[in-house]
Amino acid sequence: MTDLLTMGNTAIVLDSTCDPPPGFFERPGLYMVPLKVHFGDETYRDGVDMTYQEFFAKLEASEVLPTTSQPTAGEFLAVYEEARQTYDHVFSLHISGEMSGTVRSAEQAAEQIDGVEVYDMRTVSSALSLGAERLRARLERGCTLDEARAYIRHFIDHSSLLVHAATLEYLRRGGRIGRAASFVGGVFDIKPLICAADGTLQGYAKVRGLKKAMAAMQRFVEENSKPDDELYFATIDAINDEEPQLIREMIERLRPNSHFVLHGHVAAVVGTHIGPGTSAFAMIAE
Amino acid sequence: MSVRLAAITVIGAALAAIEAERGVVNDLNVYPVPDGDTGTNLALTVRAVLEELQQSDIEGIPAVAAAVTKGSLMGARGNSGIILSQIVRGLCDVWGRSADLTTADFKEALSEGATSAYRAVKEPVEGTMLTVIRKMAEAAQSVPDTLGIDRLLVAVEEAGRVAVEKTTEQLPALQKAGVVDAGGYGLLVLFRGLAAGIAELMHAGIAVSLARVALRTGEGGGAPQAPPLSAASELSAYRYCTSLLITGEAIDKAAFEAFLLPIGDSALVVGNQRMVKVHVHTNAPGVVLSEALKLGAIGEVEINDMHEQTKARDERLQDQPRLAEGTVVVAVVAGEGNKALFRELGCHAIVDGGQSMNPSAAQLLEAVDALGAEEVVVLPNNGNVILTAEQAAGMSPRHVAVVPSTSIPVGLAAMVAFDPGSDAVGNARAMQDAIADVHSAEVTRAVRDSELDGVEVRKGQAMGIVDGRLVAAGEELEEAFGGVLEEFARVEAEFVTVLTALNGSGVSRERLEELAARLTPDAEVHFHEGGQPLYPILASAE
Repeated sequence: MTDLLTMGNTAIVLDSTCDPPPGFFERPGLYMVPLKVHFGDETYRDGVDMTYQEFFAKLEASEVLPTTSQPTAGEFLAVYEEARQTYDHVFSLHISGEMSGTVRSAEQAAEQIDGVEVYDMRTVSSALSLGAERLRARLERGCTLDEARAYIRHFIDHSSLLVHAATLEYLRRGGRIGRAASFVGGVFDIKPLICAADGTLQGYAKVRGLKKAMAAMQRFVEENSKPDDELYFATIDAINDEEPQLIREMIERLRPNSHFVLHGHVAAVVGTHIGPGTSAFAMIAE
Repeated sequence: MSVRLAAITVIGAALAAIEAERGVVNDLNVYPVPDGDTGTNLALTVRAVLEELQQSDIEGIPAVAAAVTKGSLMGARGNSGIILSQIVRGLCDVWGRSADLTTADFKEALSEGATSAYRAVKEPVEGTMLTVIRKMAEAAQSVPDTLGIDRLLVAVEEAGRVAVEKTTEQLPALQKAGVVDAGGYGLLVLFRGLAAGIAELMHAGIAVSLARVALRTGEGGGAPQAPPLSAASELSAYRYCTSLLITGEAIDKAAFEAFLLPIGDSALVVGNQRMVKVHVHTNAPGVVLSEALKLGAIGEVEINDMHEQTKARDERLQDQPRLAEGTVVVAVVAGEGNKALFRELGCHAIVDGGQSMNPSAAQLLEAVDALGAEEVVVLPNNGNVILTAEQAAGMSPRHVAVVPSTSIPVGLAAMVAFDPGSDAVGNARAMQDAIADVHSAEVTRAVRDSELDGVEVRKGQAMGIVDGRLVAAGEELEEAFGGVLEEFARVEAEFVTVLTALNGSGVSRERLEELAARLTPDAEVHFHEGGQPLYPILASAE
């Protein structure tokens, strides 16, 4: 084991709620463990068996609402074993334990094997892939174990995620929305803005109309960053091509030192809970 | 006669007077939208006072005066009703402290009534009820204390009549429409009834003028027509509140009253030989109707089961054990679709509303109390209900904040900002911010010819109104809606909400959607089925 961690000796494992851009996991050293989506008796592996377009087409057509389930510890262990054959270190970064049991499966698996550190990232979706991407940037340059761990802690404490959701109905039904359980969305043309906080999703603002939404998103960026911060962003959408571009233009006007490093699509599990028409961005100041 | 029965007689006479002129007062409303309900609001407010007295067995001037005040505050509907209740409160404050009702007391009472009314209105407008009560109070002060009540009543009526006729010149809107102020005239009618009731009590032939007021410019005041009103009341527990109008020739009121006496109470027989308004509480409404038919044609028949009303109210109160946590919202809403939207947005209680169905302060209080929450936000959703809501808020021991929403779509925009975790005041502030830039519009048909904001409108024409200003008129609803949309485009609306009630209007939603796509291309436009009465289209722009 060397002192310096690189992408040559270190792997990153994520779960499919990271809503990755296409090709994200085709790069060496990156692994994904899928959650599962169930339409009645049919089961699909998130991000594996269906494209996101196929998923939303099925969601619209389906009479039954899909349910989701976390990976088993065994599934994590299989991936960890595979990764450890090539890599000395594994950082396993996951959806908040308040939102899913995924991280507990990962922890159980990690107890069976050396060299795997599991982190509850206290967030979800593009924030997970952004965290992995920025960790990867450090590993490509090479960093110490302490530096890698410190970055992950920094990301957990300081990253933010803002989702412009089409509806909160699924989230509420699944009990995945926190303090703002009474937060209204999806009715009377309200598309709520929800943010990750304390490991859960909480209401940030209720808005009707894209312009008000953009104004609220701008306020969110202003509240969560300083003008000269180096900011890294990941955007995603669920059948909403236009909005990520508008978000990007707004943020680039507001914060000159902004870097948009990822753009992905909402995959099936997150899509099940947020619904089509959603867009979101994750942000970290470094 | 006891103080309570005396009060019932006098107030009953006032009620009979306003009931008889209710339609006339309603028609005086200047605005050519179907909100002509000043007469109705005044009548319902006075009726609430009467019911308060009839349901209690209190005695003595202080207690009866307090009951009258309470009844009017609880029953007040519409802006006119609220102002009336404040006048009543002022009158009763003075009366309640007096040993009897001397000329000096009455003068002071009128004065206090006027002061109290002005206090209730944030921005008093001259040429309204306020001016009329003030002029009446001022005239009273010039009558020496040594003269009798009868002389005072005559002087006050005279001053009131002149003041009512002058309202036409004081408000441009009234001048244009050529009418006197509805509330001011209603107040005069009530005063005349009151005076007639006092005359009845004193068995004195007080010659209170019933001269016709020139309701429309040019018609002039006619000769006194109606004979003095008469009223009679006794109390016991009859079941059906029965009222009707008899039209015939040479109707013998005294005989009909005598007929009613053994079969009911609270009997009021008012009018002249050709038209008589009858009100009685009885267990035999059918017998009353048959007897009335012998005298002429009957109309405006209304029979209400007072036992059922009481029962229904009790059941309603029992049906609402749903105690809410945090801050709750009570909204005044008309239309099933609109009510559903308010509920979806987290509104806890809905009080039936609408332009001609203004709820009373008591109804709002009842809704607030039923929820059992300490923090309450009230959305009146109608300019005519805001004062009522504020009155209710002032009477409640809870923290009640009123957000002055002037229409249903504005109320919905306020609901979007609602946060049950914040307190009533915090919510009211956030909701007020949310509606600060909201434009409100309605499309309806004119109930009368008029000229408004430089636009000629004929009865039956469709009108588009934005923020209270007429922006378009035409035969078709589309034309009026088009005018509204153009105005929305002019103010650079980004988000437009349209609440429809198009049944029977001959217009399809698709047609309106096409119009919106064409006229407000830069706005997001959302349609919802509102189902509100009288207004095929309500809209807002943000």
